[in-house]
Amino acid sequence: MALELEYDRSLYGKEHEAGPFEVTEDMIISFNQSISQAGPCYNNKDAAVEAGYRGIIAPPTLCTLFVRRVQLPDINLKFGKTRFHGGQRVQAKAPIVAGDSISASSHLKEVYAKTGRSGTMVFIVWETTFTNQLGEVVADVQESYAARE
Amino acid sequence: MYFDLHCHSVSSDDSRATVEQYLKWIQVLRKRGYTVDGIVLTEHRKFDFDKDYAQLANDYGVVVLKGSELDTRFGHFLVYNVSQGLADDIDFADVRMDARELMKAAQHHGALAIPAHPGRFGIGLVEFMDKGEIFEDVKIVERLNGGGRPGENERADELCDSQGYLGTGASDAHLASHVCVCMTNFEMDISNETDLVAALLSGNFSPVRLEETSIG
Repeated sequence: MALELEYDRSLYGKEHEAGPFEVTEDMIISFNQSISQAGPCYNNKDAAVEAGYRGIIAPPTLCTLFVRRVQLPDINLKFGKTRFHGGQRVQAKAPIVAGDSISASSHLKEVYAKTGRSGTMVFIVWETTFTNQLGEVVADVQESYAARE
Repeated sequence: MYFDLHCHSVSSDDSRATVEQYLKWIQVLRKRGYTVDGIVLTEHRKFDFDKDYAQLANDYGVVVLKGSELDTRFGHFLVYNVSQGLADDIDFADVRMDARELMKAAQHHGALAIPAHPGRFGIGLVEFMDKGEIFEDVKIVERLNGGGRPGENERADELCDSQGYLGTGASDAHLASHVCVCMTNFEMDISNETDLVAALLSGNFSPVRLEETSIG
């Protein structure tokens, strides 16, 4: 018998929004320090402008700071007893620049089962699109949560 | 010809390698003196009918074929020469499908389904055979898997030796630099998925590690 996944499928097609979030120079500098990003365009405004950017640029993964600020609903998955974070994918689309104001919009992308050494797991994937004040999409972030029996 | 029969691109949920990254890495391997002729993209629980890698394959001089790795009630199975007919008959997303039905459906549609990493703890074919399950249609298994933990390939070796199964080799790569660490050496020429199945059914192949393909 096929594994029938029971969850709130009405969540497909619905967007959950948050923001806008201000991206400050201090935020970028602090993030750089945490990931040892010493590149001049990330830390020096003159260097960034000379390279053609509007200001110092943020590492592409900075938007992961804002992913959790989106209030996501419980999909009421009827599977498993244990939940854990299953990973993130960040696809950078355009530079995030100090002074930008970025907004987030998340939707349920997919729910699927897979099997491995430890048995069957179900993955819940949310996708968040980040857009700046100019209407440019700056990043897409996929975040997975896993449920295990 | 040396083929990696099991690798995953970003089309699989857990891989970070693009097809082009694989092909670029193969150029590195060739410069180092190893022999690689082709790869088979075996994406998890799906088949990418809409993806065409012919241009990339031509640009890099590597045969790029497509297949699938499906989850079943009895472990994972690699499926070669997937057709629309097979995809219509089998729900590729059903992780509890019966592997025996999969093998029969594959045969019916001119495809071939073989157990992947049969020695893998918790999910390899060996686990289910030890519990008494019988798989009459299994003749070929993935004997050498580049992603195995210590002991798992050895269990596959024992399985092949005791059951008389033929064995393939493959990387199970999810990262670019891991592709082709294990491959299958075929005596026949292979340029498409139909050739691949014919070559497997001929029985004239053997699993190899990358180091064994050195021409220097």
